[in-house]
Amino acid sequence: MFRKCLMLSLLLAATMLAASARAEVVVVVSSKSNITRLTAEQTTKIFLGKVVTFPNGVTAFPLDQPEGSAVRDEFYSKVARKNASQLTAYWAKIIFTGDGRPPKTLTDNLSVRKAVAASPNAIGYIDKSVVNRSVRVVLEP
Amino acid sequence: MSVFFDIKTELMHKTIPLAVFLFAACNFAAQAGTLNDSDAGAEKPVNNHASAPAALTEQPMFRFGGFGSLGASRSNQDQGDYVLYESLPKGAGRSGNWTAGNNTRVAAHVSANFTPAVSAILQVDSEYHSDDSYSPRVELVNVKYAFDPDFYMRVGRLALPTFLDSENHDVGYSYAWVNPPVDLYQLSIHSTDGVDATYRSEIGEAVNSIKAMYGSRSNAKEMWGFFDKLEYGQATFQIGYQERQSLTLNQLSGVSEAWIRNSDLSVGASYDRGNWFAMYEWLQRRSIFKINAMYVSGGYRINEFTPYVTYSRIAPGTFLPGYSAPTAAAVQLANRSQRTTSLGVRWDFMRNTDFKIQYDRVRLGDNSNGYLVNVPPDVSLHGSSFHVITAVVDFVF
Repeated sequence: MFRKCLMLSLLLAATMLAASARAEVVVVVSSKSNITRLTAEQTTKIFLGKVVTFPNGVTAFPLDQPEGSAVRDEFYSKVARKNASQLTAYWAKIIFTGDGRPPKTLTDNLSVRKAVAASPNAIGYIDKSVVNRSVRVVLEP
Repeated sequence: MSVFFDIKTELMHKTIPLAVFLFAACNFAAQAGTLNDSDAGAEKPVNNHASAPAALTEQPMFRFGGFGSLGASRSNQDQGDYVLYESLPKGAGRSGNWTAGNNTRVAAHVSANFTPAVSAILQVDSEYHSDDSYSPRVELVNVKYAFDPDFYMRVGRLALPTFLDSENHDVGYSYAWVNPPVDLYQLSIHSTDGVDATYRSEIGEAVNSIKAMYGSRSNAKEMWGFFDKLEYGQATFQIGYQERQSLTLNQLSGVSEAWIRNSDLSVGASYDRGNWFAMYEWLQRRSIFKINAMYVSGGYRINEFTPYVTYSRIAPGTFLPGYSAPTAAAVQLANRSQRTTSLGVRWDFMRNTDFKIQYDRVRLGDNSNGYLVNVPPDVSLHGSSFHVITAVVDFVF
């Protein structure tokens, strides 16, 4: 009984987390970075490979989350106004003309948070629920 | 989209109390996990790509991928073949009701990032060619050296950015249409064997990219050009100028083996708001004669569906001062005027794959057989109209 209750609760909590992942994506940099705020336009340019630096001139390395993940779809539709297939179409053009490659993809919110926290050059997007003091939210789309 | 998110948010608000209630009913003490990265010691920022932390940049040296399209088109024109490029020997119409040749291809692409500065690509395409076969050909192969990420040079077989979708004209998945508008993209020279240099810079909020090119290819030599692209928010503007010596048909020049100087001035603009887009492109080519071509296109995205409409036209060619048409056939060859109205829809029905269907109404100019091929010599289709319907599945991998 105890276990069944726990399982049911966890299942609902997981559903809740999945729902919050869709609703609450935030863009983060390291808490040691000088960047305090970015616009959607500045963030889009970094993630679409149109610029290679933050507005202050520091080299920027964007980090993606896996294709098909809710947080990724949410980020690109809200910030870059591109759904998953528009994003694939965008990168198909870039990749097949040899103009570049998409950002490095990490496995989940925690691995992105950890990598972002470790370098003032990094920028990522994560579920708001996993934000802690190691990273700074620079855009809440 | 926002409606969807609102529903999700509401669902979330209902699940939280329920989950909490169940938890409490089971007499379980909640153990809130602490989210702390104790090892998150920040390094000093770096200002170049070469010395970046490996954790942020490390990617496989080789990336294999590809794209393709499976298409079929049908035309009710029984006196000529409708083709995407006049070099194609057969198309939809006279040679057969249906053809796959216009919209079918498969391509394999490999890129190699040897170092942050040195990379290379190789792309092999199998598509319908002038020799009436699908034999594979090296479409692109080049080596790139980046002095920094915003300034690079390439050597090899290079795609030319004459139009907004020239470099990716064969990647059907990358645009809404079944193929880029024929009346303008007929005039696209896809690639050159040579060298180019690209410099990208930020101008306020905009990103500007300028490219200079020099090279040659079969039937053209001493090719050079400048292309500038400005991206501002969702707007893109492009202007290009290129020249070359082209081997020109002797029916046109009256001389055999004539190398004639050709120049192209091209202008393009697009605006992509996410849920809708609009595009306009124009080209003027000057050789023995002058021709103008353009299109305007727009579409609206409704979930997985993107209906669009396009109007395109190529105006009658006029012989430039100093040249005169040697024969009546030359006048005919110089005059390819036609205009096309297209309606279509793209359906993104599964990941990395789309289905498109497009209807074209093509009206030939008053003294023109347009770009039809295989029109019998005694047949004049001047001023007539015909229809084309095309269906295609595009994929990338």
